[in-house]
Amino acid sequence: MLLTLLHKEFLLEFRQRYALSGIVLYVFSMVFVVYIASIKVNAQVWNVLFWLIVLFASINAVVKSFVQESGSRQLYYYQIADPSMLLLAKIIYNTLLLLTLSGLSFGAYSLVAGNPVKDMPLFCLTVALGSVGFSIAFTFIASIAAKANNSATLMAILSFPVILPILLTLIRLSQIALRLLQDTSYKRDIINLLAIDAILLTLTFVLFPFIWKD
Amino acid sequence: MWWKTLSVLLVLYALAVGMFVPLKPGIAYVSPETAKSGDTMRLTIHGYNTFYTRSQASEMRVWLQYDSAKAVLGQDLKVLNDTMIEATFSFPLDLPRPSPSVMLNAILDHPSDGVSLLPSAVEVVRDTASSTASEARAGWTQNPVAQLHIIKDFSFPYRNVIYESIRNTFYHVPMWFALMFLFAASVVYSVMFLLGKKLDYDRRASALAEAGLLFGIMGLMTGMLWANYTWGAPWSNDIKQLMTAVVLLIYLAYFILRRSFDEPEKGARLSAVYNIFAFASLIPLLYIVPRMFASLHPGSTGNPAFGSQDLDNTMRLVFYPAILGFTGIGFWLAELRTRAKRVEDRMIGLD
Repeated sequence: MLLTLLHKEFLLEFRQRYALSGIVLYVFSMVFVVYIASIKVNAQVWNVLFWLIVLFASINAVVKSFVQESGSRQLYYYQIADPSMLLLAKIIYNTLLLLTLSGLSFGAYSLVAGNPVKDMPLFCLTVALGSVGFSIAFTFIASIAAKANNSATLMAILSFPVILPILLTLIRLSQIALRLLQDTSYKRDIINLLAIDAILLTLTFVLFPFIWKD
Repeated sequence: MWWKTLSVLLVLYALAVGMFVPLKPGIAYVSPETAKSGDTMRLTIHGYNTFYTRSQASEMRVWLQYDSAKAVLGQDLKVLNDTMIEATFSFPLDLPRPSPSVMLNAILDHPSDGVSLLPSAVEVVRDTASSTASEARAGWTQNPVAQLHIIKDFSFPYRNVIYESIRNTFYHVPMWFALMFLFAASVVYSVMFLLGKKLDYDRRASALAEAGLLFGIMGLMTGMLWANYTWGAPWSNDIKQLMTAVVLLIYLAYFILRRSFDEPEKGARLSAVYNIFAFASLIPLLYIVPRMFASLHPGSTGNPAFGSQDLDNTMRLVFYPAILGFTGIGFWLAELRTRAKRVEDRMIGLD
């Protein structure tokens, strides 16, 4: 069931390729803005700008999750499949999408602004954990925002405070990966991050059945 | 109805007692603040809320204390006025510890005022010519601090740095207690709404969140007042302040979400879901994230937690009633808002 739903998400993406290409273009535009706006970026600024690019690209990539398909078609899905499976499929799909996006952003960004990362494995782990956390929180918020009238604005307003603990931990971890911060106990931060992800994931599964029923 | 009256009385009690009970006598500063080992010099002790003239100079004693066994007793005490005392101190030739300097606490014992203490009042620097023989250190142990007059009266502790602003403990801290109780109650009603689908539960949830937000704003304001006095600026981008601002943003987003639906039931349901989700993300915001960053706020990294150290029994007598009173007023506000919302909904034909 999960695999079928996941397959459906990929198929949908493949058929309407403008969505993914649009987001990729969005990332490149942001990177380009950084490039023309600043001549030289130091590591501290590099870190902040990188996460800003990833954050806004992620919000824009995930917001379409629940609005791209019509309400009646979604109702059809909920009738034939378990709603929480549908949500899980969307979360997994969005995680993969965000991983790709972050990878692309990192590649494009380091091309124009240099690559100050000293501890590559830790940085990759941070980006991966970030994609999972962003995906869980944004997918859930997108499902709420999709029901409202002004979903794009609402998406940004609702997700920003919820994502902040994750974002702050991510920035801190990547500061360690960039050797801007000396901290040997960063494993605790990783555990914090996983704990926050686990709390959010549990909540989304408990609460999602109340969202989709109209 | 009794609890509304009780809350008002408790808040009035907290305001009156919290504002009018005096601080315990304390030592504001000692001048001069530095001395050399082997020196004999006359120091002036400046008191705060003190009445030195009420006792004879012979009944008072002043120490500059290093630890419980080592101290220098002041000689020739002379009371200049209610807030100034002069005393002569002869510092031994060697310091009690092999370091370039030591910080000494000033302790003053007064028959009617009681004991007052100023931590790290005077710095004694090692004289380059001083001896390191063991008899040069003997002067430290001759007059240890003993036989103090402990006065038990109804007054708040005197603390350096915060001084009179210690009274803010009765207003700033209960705001956050009230906020947590109100938001928790709001989440309980959101859960009840999802399970029971009664529109009244949703009205209560949103009214409680509104009252909680009000207390959040007041908590932030009282905190900024306190920060202006003790940290030097009302807003210093301290992690605790930033996280608080984010908590307020979450609930502002909740109110925007409530207003962005055409159907009331749908709006109530989705905002109830967001309320639960937001409350869960509040816990890492308030308890995990602030521990990762340096902060000036008590209870954070490197700072003593808010606990027995900061609260004596006199303060407890005001602090706990203040928490109850402010929380009660919060719930009363929420109830009034619920009734107003009910009337509004009936007017437009809902429910």
